[in-house]
Amino acid sequence: MVEGFRPADLQEALEFMAKHPSIPIAGGTDLMIQKARGFGLKPDFNKPLLFIGHLRELRQISVRNGNIHIGASVLLNELIKNDKIPEALKMAVRQMASPPSRNLATIGGNICNASPAGDTLPYLYAADAFLVLKSSQAERKIPVGKFITGPGKTTLKSDELLTEIIIPDKVFSANYYKKVGTRKGMSLSKASFTGLADIESEKITDIRIAFGSVAPTIVRSREIEASIIGKPVSEIKNAVPEIVKKFAPLIRPIDDARSSAEYRKQVSLRLLENFLMKLT
Amino acid sequence: MKDSISKPITRVDAPAKISGAAKYIGDIHFENQLFAKTVRSDKPKAKIVSIKTPSLPDGYYIIDKNDIPGINRMRTVVSDHPIFADDEVNYIGQPILLVVGPEREKIYEIVSQIKIEYKDESAVFSIEEAEEKGTVFTEYSYSKGEPEAAFHDAVKIIEDEYHTGLQEHVYLEPQGITGEYKDETMFIYGSMQCPFYVKGAIQDVLGWDSDRIRIIQSITGGAFGGKEEFPSLMACQVAVASLKTKRPVQMIYDRDEDIICSTKRHPSIVHYKAGLGKSNQVIVLNIDIIFDAGAYSELSPVVLQRGMFSATGVYNFPHLSVRGRNFMTNNVPSGAYRGFGAPQTIFGTEMLMHNIAVKLGVDPLKYKINHLIKRGDPTCTGGKIRDEVKLLEIIEKVEKMSGYRRKIERRKKFKGIGVSLFLHGCGFTGKGEATIKGKIILKKNGDTVILKVSSVEMGQGAETCLRKIVAHTLSLPMEKVICETIDTGLIPDSGPTVASRTTMIVGGLLRQASLELKDCWNEANEIEISKTYKHPDFLSWDDDKFVGDAYPTYSWGANVAEVEIDSLTYEINVKKISAVYDVGVPIDEKMLRGQMQGGIVQSIGWATIEVMNSSKGKLAQHNLTDYKIPTSMDVPEIACKFIENPYEFGPFGAKCAGELPSAGAPPAVAAAVSNALGIPIKSIPLTPEYLMEIDKHED
Repeated sequence: MVEGFRPADLQEALEFMAKHPSIPIAGGTDLMIQKARGFGLKPDFNKPLLFIGHLRELRQISVRNGNIHIGASVLLNELIKNDKIPEALKMAVRQMASPPSRNLATIGGNICNASPAGDTLPYLYAADAFLVLKSSQAERKIPVGKFITGPGKTTLKSDELLTEIIIPDKVFSANYYKKVGTRKGMSLSKASFTGLADIESEKITDIRIAFGSVAPTIVRSREIEASIIGKPVSEIKNAVPEIVKKFAPLIRPIDDARSSAEYRKQVSLRLLENFLMKLT
Repeated sequence: MKDSISKPITRVDAPAKISGAAKYIGDIHFENQLFAKTVRSDKPKAKIVSIKTPSLPDGYYIIDKNDIPGINRMRTVVSDHPIFADDEVNYIGQPILLVVGPEREKIYEIVSQIKIEYKDESAVFSIEEAEEKGTVFTEYSYSKGEPEAAFHDAVKIIEDEYHTGLQEHVYLEPQGITGEYKDETMFIYGSMQCPFYVKGAIQDVLGWDSDRIRIIQSITGGAFGGKEEFPSLMACQVAVASLKTKRPVQMIYDRDEDIICSTKRHPSIVHYKAGLGKSNQVIVLNIDIIFDAGAYSELSPVVLQRGMFSATGVYNFPHLSVRGRNFMTNNVPSGAYRGFGAPQTIFGTEMLMHNIAVKLGVDPLKYKINHLIKRGDPTCTGGKIRDEVKLLEIIEKVEKMSGYRRKIERRKKFKGIGVSLFLHGCGFTGKGEATIKGKIILKKNGDTVILKVSSVEMGQGAETCLRKIVAHTLSLPMEKVICETIDTGLIPDSGPTVASRTTMIVGGLLRQASLELKDCWNEANEIEISKTYKHPDFLSWDDDKFVGDAYPTYSWGANVAEVEIDSLTYEINVKKISAVYDVGVPIDEKMLRGQMQGGIVQSIGWATIEVMNSSKGKLAQHNLTDYKIPTSMDVPEIACKFIENPYEFGPFGAKCAGELPSAGAPPAVAAAVSNALGIPIKSIPLTPEYLMEIDKHED
């Protein structure tokens, strides 16, 4: 049995995947912890590892046709340093883990991990990001919200690799991000909130709202967003209770070792309210 | 400060630890060594009906209670913890047996095939439940004055209850021990605070004479009390394993395993009934302390005693009655943790004084100042405060450093400031030092001096401190004063490295011996001086009635905390801690400042973010992903000063220091949070979940 394979390029990686069901690994910052078994023991990988962190095809950041293309193996710290990356994404990434982890961890890993607490996800949902999934035979492009189906669950096929994240290169006039962790660094989110909005001529022309860690997947509602778009800024204040009320049933957090459902829900709705009030 | 003992020097242990050259127990490989893995109870309380083990391959062993030649109990204050479970288990994580062998993979495979059949019994999971069922391990009480009559005279009665939670030590290096049976002798190597405690425990378990047992401390990566009693248990297990296999056996815990089974800080509930006199002064106080001792008693009686004798804090209450109880629950045993019971009761008393003052509409600090104990006053146990108490000077300094008075008068919602006053009783509680009778040896060998003590370096700076005391006395360079290896075969028993006693007691003996050596330095090339601790005659202690001097002297402190609370999320941002301490004379000011900063940050963690709950005896937070301690990002600005107040019997006037900061920051932060939100605080940790909840109810 092959225990690990380090392909020379993306093509070789995809060909390997076509033949061997395997576990792609880049930084391994989550995977190694998930699979750790104990002091002095090999981690519990039931399939061969496919190392993709070094693949140059997956390490690029570029802007083409009004879209930002981010390779799946781009490191979190590279996102922070790159001037093509939107500020709203950087706000989230800066608060993830610690500098050493951010030098290993990749954006692709954070997405494929599909944790409800994945901190790049609320922004990617809000920004209408697409993911490029490649196999040796085919390529498909799907919205991030269609890719993640539940905690740790995605529609990734066994011969597919997430290669690229595509974000429309759009600058919002309002960028709001808040992570609620237990401490200031190296903390998993108890709740997180991303709010993006555009205001023109005193009217809301675009608004995106995404909640992390408060449901099996990231919460975003195009329907509620649509009900806000077009409203004059002056009406927002009065509309806040109604908007909060509409979101409330979508926020379905759990009690766990890190926080309580009650707190997560309260804090999420308070952040929503604060974001909306800041638009006025 | 040019030639002062307080002038900082480079720590002797720093280069090896910083460069990575330091060898911890996990770095030391023994020839032919085997590894051990513990099979633990996954039941909180049950009878063991049967244990089915697979047939073992050659070279693999199961070690259990049947392999113990001596007594199947770990020797400590109350020797009730079985080395391996007899026929019952009393907490999740209790050790039942070891699987020992050469390959870890195989060991884990064998462990996975062991099937234990239990018969569940009804368990007790909380202190409240234990109180209801009356599962008391220990109950003590003492009183002062005439509390009953005083309550009769009181014009106002206030009752309150304060809660504190579990705390895990999170020493950087998890627990690890290697045992090697060689030449008819048992050698134990490992990470530990108290080599002679381990030695005594091994003696009981093997039933051997003490000269066949040697305990050698390896470089220890932090302890905080967590390596006071616990290493004895692991040492006994590997000793039995090495005796059976005739090979060295190493057992090192993963972080998860360490958290699940090692001791923690005692959760507490402290109930107060205060009687106020005509001027609103507390004239009488009733304190009822309960600790969750967990499944076995072990050190808990003495932890409770320190908690009880520290419960009046820095105050002189004329009438007092104090009751303390340790309850048995089916939780992981509680044990020693920096502060040893005192941070729990000092938190309660400080918050009680704060909350009474706020209720009366007076400044908490002024209210506290009206109750301060002073030189000549009786202690809570009827001893005497013999040495000067510089609390007013401490308070004045901390007020100035923090701008407390100015800031408290301009209170804004979500921004707060709070003050705590606290003390620590130096050295062992009660007759502890008189019983242990610590012994040290100082040996001149040409131009070098070797000091022999059992006080260990565990990251706190003991080696630097003790060598510095000797070097400074003899006017020798540090490199000419060396410590003998911590090997019970080579050193006398200067006592365990606990109770903030190392500098004051052991350092004090070294200082006396150094002065004697100085006098006879030129008389011979080789000179050996030994000293044994003698309890000062003026101290008296009745251990049955708890009357007299519980401690020879006290160290004092004041903290001011400034906090900001996020109005949306209720997260606490501790912005600044101003701290002033009287530890007599600092032996090394920089090292001491490090101790204080560490103690402040560690205890802020306990007071704010460190949540450890158990549900039906199972810890919900059992790894460092879920149990969070502060990182460098969370460390507030810390301003720290010392005032000198030399203690006659301490080396260069030094008193105790290491545990003192643990009691200070929690009530200061809690008082600041109370100030920020305008609500009373009676429980820690102050999680945002808890604060949002109580602030909602107050609105």
